[in-house]
Amino acid sequence: MRRLGLDLPLLPTTAVGSYPKPEQLVEARRMLLAGRLKPKDLREMEERATKEWIALQEEIGLDVLVDGEMYRGDMATYFAENLDGFRISGLVRSYGNRYYRKPIIVGEVRWRGPITVDWWRFAQALTKKPVKGMITGPYTMMDWSFNEYYSSRRDACLDLARALHQEVKALAEAGAKIIQIDEPALSTRPEELEEFVVDALEIVTKGVDAYFIAHVCYGAFEFIYPEMLELPVDNFDLEMSNSELDLVELFKKHPFTKDISFGVIDVHSHVVESVDLVKRRIERALEVLSPEQLWIDPDCGLKTRTREEAIGKLQAMVKAVREVRTGLCRGNA
Amino acid sequence: MLLTANTGSYPRIGDKPEQQKHRQAYARWEKGEISDEEFMRVQDEVTKEVIHEQVRAGLDLVTDGQVRWYDPISHIARGLRGFEINGLLRFFDTNFYFRQPVVEGEVRWVKPILVWEFSFAKEISAVPVKPVLTGPYTIARSSINRYYPSLEELVLDLASALGREIGELEKAGADVIQVDEPAILKNPDDFELFRDAIEEICKNVENARLALYTYFGDAAKLYEKFQELPVDIIGLDFTYSERLVDVVVAQGSSKGLGLGLIDGRNTRMEKETEILPILERIVPQVEGGPVYLNPSCGLEYLPRETAFAKLQNLVMIAKRAREVMG
Repeated sequence: MRRLGLDLPLLPTTAVGSYPKPEQLVEARRMLLAGRLKPKDLREMEERATKEWIALQEEIGLDVLVDGEMYRGDMATYFAENLDGFRISGLVRSYGNRYYRKPIIVGEVRWRGPITVDWWRFAQALTKKPVKGMITGPYTMMDWSFNEYYSSRRDACLDLARALHQEVKALAEAGAKIIQIDEPALSTRPEELEEFVVDALEIVTKGVDAYFIAHVCYGAFEFIYPEMLELPVDNFDLEMSNSELDLVELFKKHPFTKDISFGVIDVHSHVVESVDLVKRRIERALEVLSPEQLWIDPDCGLKTRTREEAIGKLQAMVKAVREVRTGLCRGNA
Repeated sequence: MLLTANTGSYPRIGDKPEQQKHRQAYARWEKGEISDEEFMRVQDEVTKEVIHEQVRAGLDLVTDGQVRWYDPISHIARGLRGFEINGLLRFFDTNFYFRQPVVEGEVRWVKPILVWEFSFAKEISAVPVKPVLTGPYTIARSSINRYYPSLEELVLDLASALGREIGELEKAGADVIQVDEPAILKNPDDFELFRDAIEEICKNVENARLALYTYFGDAAKLYEKFQELPVDIIGLDFTYSERLVDVVVAQGSSKGLGLGLIDGRNTRMEKETEILPILERIVPQVEGGPVYLNPSCGLEYLPRETAFAKLQNLVMIAKRAREVMG
């Protein structure tokens, strides 16, 4: 961390990626799709919303910021639309009355040029705190796409890794020191982790000097543990707020050797946690991990919560961390 | 000898404006703008449409597309006593989510769950309809158990309850009844318990043919054991296994088979040159009958247009196979 020029406190606080979009922005995105708004006007609104969230994060006191994804919809389609080799599918049901479009791989997947670098630069210019670079990982891109081109999941994943490596290089060259690879699909077929996911992430991160975080939207990671430690990242971002996993047991057999961004805020609940509840969750992490390994964040992106809920939750989190830090320092004195 | 069938679900909306009916009605119903009855009528209409699409594609055996189902787990569980329905969970390795049932009390059949859905479909379909229900082992494995001291007891009570439902479906005129048990592929060590559950279910069937369908995993290891179950048809998903074709050819089948050679999870259209050789190897080895060419799983994982094209493609391939095999 110091080598990269990052000076973070004990138990750095951060967020996972998304914040709720302001209502006017949601409407503006619809209007763009309907052809009733110009891209540059949408861009202005996205910039304004990003500025707002950067300022809010600073006010709340987060140590490592995210750009809030005001310009993104679905995390897979966003990258598919900006890479060669993809088309977008018709509607498919996710649950209830929710439908979405999936990427379809129709040809060789290739990096066309920087996808997220512009937005990363824009966000970073607004603050002195480090802003995370963020990509959707090759395994998730492969697993969430239809595949009409590659003869195996492995081949699709590795070509995606090569394309995404270019993006990661571009982010690092632009100055991003912390880069998050979102892999919510990681636990879907655990056997594939050692078959090709490790190779894929090695391709993505090779030769790039940055602190890498793998975000795995999954609290019950015992199916891919300890194999997941083989992934060439420095930090695992895990959804732990509601996890009933016996970490003491799990880490007794195989100690957690990397850093962990321990999710302590339930992003699926509208209830704003009390500081005490968050403290208890942090203390649970401290039972099995050393403070030096620990980052604190919400379970996942906050885009499904209202603005007020998101702010309230982050405030509770930061307050809890500050109290725990004080306790730790006193303990060490 | 070789027939064609749907495997389960079918997309309830499409991308064309006239195919948005279900989505629009659902949204209005959630807001209270239309009544339960009005929403039900839209579901009836959409069910008719999806049945007609399957018939137009040329299938010999259709399903009602499960248009009325929230998901394959909670739709069955909520119809039984003993269950509460909880929050969303990922459905196997798909990007689809189901509502997780919680077992709070003794599981009992209280009234028919799928009978009126099946009867409705049977009435309006020009082609035979098979009812599909998720089996006791998979429902048990997908639920949070807060009542029974063991998985075994939960599975067996579920088998008893769903066995009753299957008996009712037979009385309602079902000739083929399909039971989906994808979860056994993930838990092969539970096969003894699984066998007990299937035997319990089969007690309720007199003349109807019971089809056991599995998917989302590799069935090669359990294939031999499936052949020993008292079911009439075994449905297999070939998209997860390199060696399943060889296993089936080598061991043959004393039962009818459902050949899931058409990938219900991917938009890529299968080529005749890929499927025909497999059919030519497998079909002669099947002693029991019939053999169905069907999608590897439900079709709700695909856009509507693609689902229809898959069925048309499947029918074309089966026709060609019949010509070639004589």
